[in-house]
Amino acid sequence: MMDILQLILLWFGIYYIVAVSLNMEFGYAGIPNFGKALSVLVGAISVGGILNRLLIWYFGVKGDLIEGSTFAIARMNEIIAAHPLAGIFLLLIAILLAMVVGFVVGMIFILPSAKLKADYLGVTLLAISEAIFLVCVYNLSIIGGYYGISTPDILAFAPGEKRGWIFAGIVLVFAFLSFLFMEKLLNTPYGRVLKAMRENEDVVKCFGRDIMKLRMRTMAIGSAIGAIAGVLYSFYTGNIVANSFTRVEWTFFPFLMILLGGKGNNKGVALGVLAYVIVIVFLDIYKYDIKEIFHIPFEPVWLTYILFGITMLLILYYKPTGLIPERPVKTPPVKRIMED
Amino acid sequence: MVLEGAIIYSNLLVLLALGLTLTYITTNVPNFAQGSFAIVGSYIAVTLLRIFHIHPYFSLPFLLIAGAIVGFSTYLILKPLVARRADVEILMIATLAIDLILLGTIGAYSEILSKIVGFTQAKFVFSQLDFSIFGIKGIFFVSIAVTLLLLFCLYLLLYKTKFGTALRASMENPDLAETMGINVEQTRAFSWALSGALAAVAGGLLPFMQEIVPMTGDIIIISIFASSIVGGLTHITGALVGGYIIGLSESLITYYLSSIFGTGFLVYGKVVALVIMIITLLFVPSGIMGINWGKRPKK
Repeated sequence: MMDILQLILLWFGIYYIVAVSLNMEFGYAGIPNFGKALSVLVGAISVGGILNRLLIWYFGVKGDLIEGSTFAIARMNEIIAAHPLAGIFLLLIAILLAMVVGFVVGMIFILPSAKLKADYLGVTLLAISEAIFLVCVYNLSIIGGYYGISTPDILAFAPGEKRGWIFAGIVLVFAFLSFLFMEKLLNTPYGRVLKAMRENEDVVKCFGRDIMKLRMRTMAIGSAIGAIAGVLYSFYTGNIVANSFTRVEWTFFPFLMILLGGKGNNKGVALGVLAYVIVIVFLDIYKYDIKEIFHIPFEPVWLTYILFGITMLLILYYKPTGLIPERPVKTPPVKRIMED
Repeated sequence: MVLEGAIIYSNLLVLLALGLTLTYITTNVPNFAQGSFAIVGSYIAVTLLRIFHIHPYFSLPFLLIAGAIVGFSTYLILKPLVARRADVEILMIATLAIDLILLGTIGAYSEILSKIVGFTQAKFVFSQLDFSIFGIKGIFFVSIAVTLLLLFCLYLLLYKTKFGTALRASMENPDLAETMGINVEQTRAFSWALSGALAAVAGGLLPFMQEIVPMTGDIIIISIFASSIVGGLTHITGALVGGYIIGLSESLITYYLSSIFGTGFLVYGKVVALVIMIITLLFVPSGIMGINWGKRPKK
């Protein structure tokens, strides 16, 4: 039972970071970012493709990325086991790196489509993300592709049974920081201009704001935050397999969580993420029991896809505003008017 | 040999992009499930082959009907949202959801079929069933013939029948068409059925070209969108031009570059399609057929 709670907390944290950044892009700014998976992949690339290479270089290990990683990481894990601070340091370095890379990638990512309408925009973002995903899967020299590479165990000093809890704690801290950051950032004139852009771009243009710059800034920040989730996920699983950064897992499901919770509302999104994570964790634990009981003649993962697809349609039909709908922002002038 | 493959691939892309463009014009939704529509066709073809021993070339008429049903059902699912005039983002998410449902269904079905026929159907090809004339694969002739036939029928339908005129009218201006007594709902439903049918036929021919797995639809969707956008999402003829541009360049440029940089470059096939699409979006966002060729802009 405690293990289940630990898993729920961990996945809640990781998915909340993704969802809250997507909420800024989609819920606030109205950018249909169907390439959200890319920002998570960027986090993984920062760990597997950049950090691992730095470690290989630092320890002077020979061999290609896949082979070299194994040796370099064994050496790194020994150091972390002796000096816990080294592990924390490595995590912070990785997150900083991922945020910088995510920021730049996010900005470039939106460039070709920064002037497009919503439908073209969504298609382009999806296509870019999917093409980069495919390259990462089949080109083994980026992050080990389908073969996979190992990542440093930043908690190598912690005893096995406590590792999961400590990790869940770390993830929740970052999720909370992301929440605070987003709440602060979006409760400013910038956040409100994003909402204005979502509602009517022409009006925003009339007031002299550059739509392209707004979109670029939003995607850069959103991707930087999303990349944190990629880093945490890569460190948690202890290895990176490019195949796990699919569109379904890291784009569609975050959209599902946002629409379930209530788009444009960071607290509602938390509720959506929690509901999704509880369902998925229990499904994952009991999937083979379910398969036995109902005599399902195929892998339960397909059934999960069908069920979540239908859930999404039902939300769109009956509860498009989500469980906790977005409320009008009460800025001081608005409050004054309401009091009168 | 490479050119042969490139032309086959282009023909199939034309069919797929045509469906995408049709539904985009009538309903204003980029349909993310178009790739999975095709894979539904592939799996129906493999079922007919394994269980009823029907050669995939002869199952094409059946695929037309089955695909039309899939396309029409998709429209029925989208209809309440379209009627509510939901935002295009919401409609796109709905087609993503439909894509996921189709993916789940195809995946589950592939395992059920594997159990029925006794060996795995999770991936399959048809190329061993193909005939050849003078060393050229049969699929080369069949894909050309099928594409031409379907395009010809589509042309007859759109330009020589009353229904076709109504269809074009409701594409150009749905509100005006409605005031003229045209049932726009009906034309929309028809375009979705047509889109599904074209995709399913392409899906029935695709296994002659490449290996099919349940996820294939999610991969080819990049090329389909690239074709439609390069040609122009708002012009039916755009799908034709775009399908050939993307199909040929994806195969030929990738082949050419891989002969320079080594076979490792082959994984960048979709990147080539993507780059062409982005260049188009940057310079001619309305696509090649969207350019006002030879005409001076009216004042």
